[in-house]
Amino acid sequence: MRFVARFALDLDGIVEVKTFYKNKNAVLQIESEKDNYTSITPKFPAAIWSERKIKDDFGIKFKGSFDERKLIHHERFPAIAPMLKSFVDSEIDFESFKPYKYEVIGGEGVFEVGVGPIHAGIIEPGHFQFSQEGENMLHLEVRHFYKYKAIEKMIEGKDPYTVFDIIEKISGNESIAYQKAYLKILSFASNQKISSDIRKYNALLLEIERLIHHLTDLGFIPNDAGFGSALAFCSQKSEELRRVLKEITGHRFGFGAIRGKAKIFNKEKLKDFLQKFENDIKWFKDWILDIPSLFDRFDTTGILTAKNAIKYSCVGVIARASGLRNDVRDNEEFYKNYGFELQREKTGDVSARFKVRLKEVFNSLDMIKNLLDFNESSMQIKELKDGEYYSFVESSLGELFMFLKIKDAKVERFYARDPSFVNWQVLHLMMNGNIIADFPLINKSCDLSYAGNDL
Amino acid sequence: MIRFWKKRFVQGLKSENLYFDSEISQIKKEIKDTVKKRFAGSLAIRMVDSGSCNACEAECNALSNPYYDLERLGIYFVASPRHADILLVSGVNTFNMHHHLLNAYKQLPAPKWVITIGDCPVNLSSFEKTFAIKGGIENHIPVTHHIKGCPPEPKDIIAGFLEFLKKI
Repeated sequence: MRFVARFALDLDGIVEVKTFYKNKNAVLQIESEKDNYTSITPKFPAAIWSERKIKDDFGIKFKGSFDERKLIHHERFPAIAPMLKSFVDSEIDFESFKPYKYEVIGGEGVFEVGVGPIHAGIIEPGHFQFSQEGENMLHLEVRHFYKYKAIEKMIEGKDPYTVFDIIEKISGNESIAYQKAYLKILSFASNQKISSDIRKYNALLLEIERLIHHLTDLGFIPNDAGFGSALAFCSQKSEELRRVLKEITGHRFGFGAIRGKAKIFNKEKLKDFLQKFENDIKWFKDWILDIPSLFDRFDTTGILTAKNAIKYSCVGVIARASGLRNDVRDNEEFYKNYGFELQREKTGDVSARFKVRLKEVFNSLDMIKNLLDFNESSMQIKELKDGEYYSFVESSLGELFMFLKIKDAKVERFYARDPSFVNWQVLHLMMNGNIIADFPLINKSCDLSYAGNDL
Repeated sequence: MIRFWKKRFVQGLKSENLYFDSEISQIKKEIKDTVKKRFAGSLAIRMVDSGSCNACEAECNALSNPYYDLERLGIYFVASPRHADILLVSGVNTFNMHHHLLNAYKQLPAPKWVITIGDCPVNLSSFEKTFAIKGGIENHIPVTHHIKGCPPEPKDIIAGFLEFLKKI
């Protein structure tokens, strides 16, 4: 069984904690606790962030939890339980500074290095606290939630049709995946089937977004090992793709692209572009895989064993690079008809994550060629019925899980579990036996989202 | 690497000469006279994200790709606020990032300016005010210029920098 998500709802005074699991055949199991809350971390250690978040949001404690520090409420946050229905303030004051107790290793000669929240380079805020013995990393604690905007509270009480604009901006790089997941949820709530043409259009945009994100990573990973020419080449390719996305949807990131319509665009132009593009990527693959000094940095750096990946419920490229069969598209009949093949590697190090991305680029290019065969279509979302709905989408980082509860035709509870929320918790396991100079390389090879994680 | 250079010579230069290349030659004389005294011919920018969706950062990263190549204009991004002339702020200014943003501003050595980028710092873009968003960046640090868009395209960002240079 794999742990998917754990979150809570306020049912008029009683707090219900829902947990989602997926078994080997990808069948979903849902469990619900209304009192006597017990921690599931002895069996599923990746649930600890979910439980700490529920404690901050709702004020309830879990029996047997090994970590009860605040997660989302940082040093100056007042003691509040904001996700309860009784909390309606939109302004809170700064309290006095109460330092956060980091998880460090003590001992003679061991010192701490704190990196963040503002990092060198153009990147989002997040904190990493290292325990160092000379150059070797002994331990790492990852602490985020600097971008916490309380989006779950923002969306509550609104009309479900009007929150698309907020949901697509939770994480800019995964905007198409979030929009696709929300459209699926609305179609379940109105009991309508999304037509095959619209499904093909949405899948096409999702694959283009995956290409853009993977190419950006294929450029930045060698750059963090000191090899800048790869970045120059790949950033040029991802820029061309962003312009293609702008031509198709009118926006470089696809904001506003998926609203239940399939729009026709110049397919011949796209086919010619993709042909030239594929030749360029083939050239890149032959060039980059043949550089021994680069792979000397990549091989055996930042290893995540398959055993740890299963224990910590990993998803996405990180899980596939360690040998796991974990991809939402693997379980959907729709994708098997358009050429989807799951790409895996065995070694679980930086070079494995690099090669998985390269293989997925070629698979996405094949899928896009097959998905181009769609007609113009549009659907009107009809009346939404009260109830609880959820959906899964394979974003470029991994499995995205989204939940929506509608009551009296308004949003009662919204939750999105970004793939980064589980994957950040496994980063510290990759640090054993590596020096701190390899940390940017390992961090970039995972390329996790800070904005999607923080909600 | 021979393979790479062969391809580079076949492909040629990719940097696009957009309309503002002519604007640069116009203000070049101004840059030489007044700005050169303060900036010595180059502009150092420190970017801080105070709670955005990451699209503005992706566009700033795109500024160093071969199509836009910001460094040929003498403008570059630096690693520390202590090396910078300008603080470039994106995002809504969340409760958790508020003090870190003010710290970064204090560490910039004078003379310093602040540019805000994207719709988030001004009107929260599609988001709405909650308890976790402090907002109101212009109430805490003096903002000189604003580049709008959600996110602004790289060519809009470069045009925004040139407008800022004309302002000061």
